Amino acid sequence: MVDVTFCVNGREMSANVASNKTLADFLRDDLYLTGCRIACDGGVCGACTVLVDGSPVAACSTFAFEIDKSSIETIEGLAAPDGNLHPIQQAFLKSDAFQCGFCTSGFILSVKALLEMHPSPDDRTIRDWLKGNICRCTGYKSIMDATRLASAMMLEAAP
Amino acid sequence: MRKMLEADVKNASLERLDGKQKLTGKVRYTSDFKLPGMLHAKVLRSPHAHARIRSIDSRRARALGGVLAVITGADIATLPDPFYGVGIRDQPVLAIGKVRYIGDMVAAVVAVDEATACRALDLIAVDYERLPALMSIEDALDPSAPDIFEEPSGGSPLIVGEGAQSLKEPRKNTLYEFQYARGDAEAELAAADHVFTDTFHFSRIHHFHLEPYVNVARAEEGRIEIWSCNQDPFILRNDLSRMFGFPLHNVRVHTAMVGGGFGAKSYCKMEPLVVFLAMRTGRPVRLCLTMDEAFHTLTKHVAVLTLTTGVSRDGILIARKSDIRLDGGAYSDASVSTTIKTGYRITGPYRWKAVSTVASSVRTNSVPGGSFRGFGGTQSSFASESQMDMIARRIGIDPLEFRRRNLLSPHEPFAPGDTAIDSDVELGLLRLAEKVGYVDRPRVPGRGIGLSIGLKDGGGTGNQAQAAIKVTDSGDIIVQAAAVEIGQGVGTVLGSIAANILDRPLSAVRYAEIDTDHTPLDTGTHVSFATTVSGRAIEESAYDVKRQILQFAADRLDCTPDQLTLSDWTIRLGNRSHDLRSMLRDYYGPVGTEFVGRGSMKIPYDTAAPLGSKNLFWMPCWSAAEVDVDTDTGQVSVLRLVVGADAGRALNLAACHGQIEGAALQALGQSLFEELVYSGDVPANADPATYRVPLVSDLPVSFESFVEQHGMGPGPNGAKGIGESGMLGIAAAIANAVEDAVGVRITKLPITAERVLDALDEKRKAALAS
Repeated sequence: MVDVTFCVNGREMSANVASNKTLADFLRDDLYLTGCRIACDGGVCGACTVLVDGSPVAACSTFAFEIDKSSIETIEGLAAPDGNLHPIQQAFLKSDAFQCGFCTSGFILSVKALLEMHPSPDDRTIRDWLKGNICRCTGYKSIMDATRLASAMMLEAAP
Repeated sequence: MRKMLEADVKNASLERLDGKQKLTGKVRYTSDFKLPGMLHAKVLRSPHAHARIRSIDSRRARALGGVLAVITGADIATLPDPFYGVGIRDQPVLAIGKVRYIGDMVAAVVAVDEATACRALDLIAVDYERLPALMSIEDALDPSAPDIFEEPSGGSPLIVGEGAQSLKEPRKNTLYEFQYARGDAEAELAAADHVFTDTFHFSRIHHFHLEPYVNVARAEEGRIEIWSCNQDPFILRNDLSRMFGFPLHNVRVHTAMVGGGFGAKSYCKMEPLVVFLAMRTGRPVRLCLTMDEAFHTLTKHVAVLTLTTGVSRDGILIARKSDIRLDGGAYSDASVSTTIKTGYRITGPYRWKAVSTVASSVRTNSVPGGSFRGFGGTQSSFASESQMDMIARRIGIDPLEFRRRNLLSPHEPFAPGDTAIDSDVELGLLRLAEKVGYVDRPRVPGRGIGLSIGLKDGGGTGNQAQAAIKVTDSGDIIVQAAAVEIGQGVGTVLGSIAANILDRPLSAVRYAEIDTDHTPLDTGTHVSFATTVSGRAIEESAYDVKRQILQFAADRLDCTPDQLTLSDWTIRLGNRSHDLRSMLRDYYGPVGTEFVGRGSMKIPYDTAAPLGSKNLFWMPCWSAAEVDVDTDTGQVSVLRLVVGADAGRALNLAACHGQIEGAALQALGQSLFEELVYSGDVPANADPATYRVPLVSDLPVSFESFVEQHGMGPGPNGAKGIGESGMLGIAAAIANAVEDAVGVRITKLPITAERVLDALDEKRKAALAS
């Protein structure tokens, strides 16, 4: 067991985690943040993507103890406390960029990391950043559209 | 060119009812479901493709701390009926006496957690006697091959109609054979100006649904309860009832949101095992398969299709004889119905004097084939639409023109006894050609454009849906139907049908969670069925409620219902308005009331129709690909993909585009690179790390979907299903584009660089030789 302190969605926390526990299991089973989805369970599909200190990470392939002194962002932390959706979530809604929803948390967090690094990405950059996330439903076109829309919305909202 | 109907007529694109839940991560899938005291199961799978089980020693596994049960086929054999499958039932819950493919389920462990269950699996010793593995259709049909099943299997072939025959286990290692004939194909072919015979090979792919197969079962007080990701709650209820000998009312199936299926989660699979484990341990049991295990559960059917097609010198199709063999894998699953559908659809959207089709499903020692988006339609469309182009080129007619000469007109029956194609197929084809710039395409070396028209029937054979809506006195609507929300947006579209009729906003609708104790029955979330069939049932339910409301108001206002209108939850009589909620509260009191409306739709059986019921609607898929072929490497790049389907009337236009595009990209992957490959008897890439599915980087730079709305569908306002359409025509369009580009024909999927290069080499050699 390992003692860890970390911040999840803006909340400071500490925990004592088994050294073989994955971040995905820790988030899902201990913190009830089940928006982190386990699909391939091997770091391939991106469904379990969360942001650790702003960078996308496959939670299924990360040990929980590795997040010590880190800041974690999960899909549950994106919308405002009053329920207003984050611009990326709004863009996914407007673009119909999800169907079954199982990949959606991971995609949205990958887009967030992308837009923080490249606020106005070209298509090649979007493809480069999102090819670590698999969507089997949409055919990706709407996800590309949503990413461009989110970029435009966030740039417009920026001071 | 005829004047085109306006394709993209204005349609509301609805905001999905499940949108916020899915975007905020709050949606609950079955994989998130837990019960107090829940145990975890894991499955031991066969390492051999074909072997007899001499003995299983599970003593060490049972002795491991934290293990509550270990069961094997011997335990399963005590069930009233341990077998499942669609029509023919040959798959045991766990292998009984024999394993038939690598991945076959041999034993199951229940433990306090998954890790303990996994450790226990390693302690089970199975003594196998290996048998020759039959890994291909030819191997399995070889007269000297061993029998994969030594005894006849249970169940029965499905009933078919006029001109068709349905044969269970007609010969060695053959699960099933479908025959269909009309006219005298032999005589017509003998008299035809040209006859061409070509063979096509269709590849094996896996669904790669992201939500794993997951079930939680509980068995208490004489009843079975299961929370399942299965997309067929009532089919599953029937199977569990039959297999365990429980009356239907003591079997209860709950279905949450499903995280993708594409056919993988249809019909019974590991659910009876989970129920058995819950009964055995007296505790709730969860079985969540890994993605690797999903690869070992179901695939799309490998197929070899040989088409002999007769055509007149002026390009009129005369007759087609088809010999179709599907590799059904080790167990039946949905192979019987897939075989029927592949065979029936092989004639495409064209007019024929005579047709003769034999389609069979052959048993091999590979992962079972079963439902996959398109359900045989992808196999038949790939072969038929490839051959259409090949014939056109051979007889010197442009492929577009050749198709136009032979297309069935709207209202012309697909086959005697069946319905007409309820789309203007030519209209869609012309729009496709226009969008992709087919007619005046510039001839650039290495570049080409291919067209195709995929086709399948939709709505299923003899299916039915019942539905209900509950409407509160505030005008809130709870829609109850067994159509599973698997990503297609069914709750939203069914909700919108009810909301429109009752003049309520979509935000007033909730799509109820499915629970077979409460939800009205349907025959499964299949066959692009729900918008049309469940949609009609919901439409009827909403009209039922509207009648009740107007009758209630008429009674209160001392008038007749036809004098009243309902809008914005207000009753209007002449120019006076009455708030409906107030009227209801005044009459019923402070708890208020609810209206319950019911509806149903049944596709009737009809022995005059070849498949035993007239097809409900038709799903054409107009597909075009523009490719660039590198003649040095054989690499095919799809520069442009255009794909369209007929929604009849789009009830949610954005969702229609989403369905078409999602299906089209699955098909693009299968066309170019995606394949579950066997190396000998071992599935070589049956895991997410080595199995390649399309990524965002595979998206063609130009990718356009279009939604035709020909208004002829049997659903609400002329709607019909399109969920599978986009999958049907892509592979042939790409193969046709490759021939257009570089003059070689690839008849085997996927169209890899190696295959193209080999074909180019052959062509060069042939040119040199002549």
